[in-house]
Amino acid sequence: MKCHFCERRCDLADGRSFCGNFAEENGKIKERWPDQWCTYSPSRIESVPFYHAYPGSRSMIIGTAGCNFRCRYCSYGFIACKDPAQLQDVMYTIAPEKLVAMAKKMGCHNIVFNVNEPAVSLPSLQRVKKYAEKQDIPMGCLTNGYITPEATQMMAEIFSFVHIGLKGFSDAFYKEFVGIPHIAPILRNIETFSRTCHVEIASPVIEDVNDHELFDIARFIHDIRQDIPWHVFRLLPEHNMKQSVYPNIDRMNQALETSRSLLPYIYFHNFVGSRWVNTLCPGCGEVVIKRFSLGCSGDRLDAFLAPDNTCTCCGTAISMLGTRVGWNDKQTTVWESVI
Amino acid sequence: MSLAIIDAREWQNTFDLETGQPQTSESPAADMAARVLSRHPYPGDVDEKANQWVTGTALELIDRYDPDLVCVSYVQQFFADRHFRYARKERERLFASAMEEAERFIEKSGFTPVIVGTGDMIPLKGEMDLSGLDGLAVSSNWSARYCGIHAPSRHDMAFLDSLDTLERIVSRDQWIQMFATAQHDLEIHQDTNLMPDFLLAARQGHAFKTMGTTLRKPVHIPAKNFLVPVFSPLGRVDDLRDIKPLIRSRLPDHKIALILVEGVGERFFPASRFMCQNGVDWFCNEPGDAFYLTVSTGKHQPFAYPAGYRFFDKDADAIKFPFSGYMDTIPEHTLAQDFPGKSIAVGNRSMFMHMVFGVDISIECFARNLFNQGCMAVVHREDK
Repeated sequence: MKCHFCERRCDLADGRSFCGNFAEENGKIKERWPDQWCTYSPSRIESVPFYHAYPGSRSMIIGTAGCNFRCRYCSYGFIACKDPAQLQDVMYTIAPEKLVAMAKKMGCHNIVFNVNEPAVSLPSLQRVKKYAEKQDIPMGCLTNGYITPEATQMMAEIFSFVHIGLKGFSDAFYKEFVGIPHIAPILRNIETFSRTCHVEIASPVIEDVNDHELFDIARFIHDIRQDIPWHVFRLLPEHNMKQSVYPNIDRMNQALETSRSLLPYIYFHNFVGSRWVNTLCPGCGEVVIKRFSLGCSGDRLDAFLAPDNTCTCCGTAISMLGTRVGWNDKQTTVWESVI
Repeated sequence: MSLAIIDAREWQNTFDLETGQPQTSESPAADMAARVLSRHPYPGDVDEKANQWVTGTALELIDRYDPDLVCVSYVQQFFADRHFRYARKERERLFASAMEEAERFIEKSGFTPVIVGTGDMIPLKGEMDLSGLDGLAVSSNWSARYCGIHAPSRHDMAFLDSLDTLERIVSRDQWIQMFATAQHDLEIHQDTNLMPDFLLAARQGHAFKTMGTTLRKPVHIPAKNFLVPVFSPLGRVDDLRDIKPLIRSRLPDHKIALILVEGVGERFFPASRFMCQNGVDWFCNEPGDAFYLTVSTGKHQPFAYPAGYRFFDKDADAIKFPFSGYMDTIPEHTLAQDFPGKSIAVGNRSMFMHMVFGVDISIECFARNLFNQGCMAVVHREDK
């Protein structure tokens, strides 16, 4: 029996899936570690980073364990690249209704799956969605996009905003740095998601490895929809690339220059103090959203200068899912001890 | 205005420390600090060379600024031991080499030392998973012994009472009162409504799993270090709070280096060490802001950034001091704040070296959750 969640399509008769999360039981695919989460913490949506969805909102960040990729530079390799069976003592068992209640208790506007690949835990996420929907809490995720059409459909039903990693633009890059043979399913799924969800795309740039592919990526995004935000991450050498050189910021920024004529929302960050995290109006070039970056998972909203998602200088609409919300808008919990 | 110079490797930018806004600067001190930063790229929190980075950077800053007071922290061994499993001999070497690095700094700089260890690390025996409470349990990345409980139900309290690995449950008022008795001018700057209703203390070797704790499971955690080792030829002190007055009283005739060595206990210290009280009654400071602030201010500081604080309800969009972690104000009464001589700080305890000592110029790594983002220099003043 083949697993149908990711494009590896693992033969479950051989045991378990590559990610370690699925096995065959009585002719059905069984999620081995249901409702097991590695974290549940409130954070800014900009830290994920989503820059064009519910700006200023408080997200409950969740994740599980295991992944269908083996990125050589994975920042969360100690969770994502491990066999989930070995991580059960660090996980939390939280039923879906309790997880949603936790988001509410902590005043979160939305729930975002981060850390590892959501496709490896889709059955659990479907259950969370059921309760989140009742509470009017939208869900988003980061995904590597290497998933089957069936899983893409499932994810599109769970998540209303999706951040897809497009880590390079060649089979060769994906083969060497990620461990999969083909990029094609990822490109296919970006197009599918862009028709059903809010989409942002992230590409880590490794100097002299995939920086020459940046313009190709920009052109691909442009041909789908030019208002898709594109985050170019300076590689943070981690995991199996700890000894690698940090990409030069000025040179990488220069390499992005030609792409800027194709896409209005390009961000270059993942390093502390980045100057390329503000949103400029595509019409007049004025700063309409100011952000502050502390590097990996440390971005925040600084000022939202586009009421009703519109530039106050020229009236151009700024592409956005939802609009500015206040950090404490949803905090309704009465923190009174009953003791 | 205090300036922050960020070095993200081959790329530097200057910011207003308080607002985080970019600044242009013609400050000679900022220029000097930027040059030092560019010559000392940070190897990473758990890299073998991270403590050598502290010594090398501090020595160059001393050479260029000629301070009278230096505050230094060595933390590589704490990060490494906390997260990775080493053979016993290798572990011993880790701690011994941190002390050797401190000694190398003393020898090269010629400063008179006050070396403070934060105490031993011990194996993690187990964790208490409090994610299922009706109320909310909050701990933090670097805390092991303490956890705050907000709005617990009776069922929660019964569950907590049943935990053999929990040493005590203390109400917020009892916690505050204990320190108010020990410190008559106790200051609480944070909103007490965001403090937990109850503080939990784990038994030795145990820790908490809650919202806010790290994804990386610790291997070793701090022991209950009610006594920590101190070494100094300047004289003996009995309590962490006595270190500040000792240093200040001897600065007129000595160049002094306050050196914090994290995760290091008594047996790695020189034979002429003495043991020093850390905390009050059942509450001892873990390595972190409260420990540093107690040493620097000479006052108990458990409530500067209290354990179990509901930090996320405070976290607004435009915060102050965005480069300073969860610190949102420059602390008062710090060691070098009103010292008329020159002072610097260098360390690989990131994001608060520039806040806790009140020095003129500081350099520290800029790493978050062990992710190496580079380094930061802060110039608070250059009028000396």
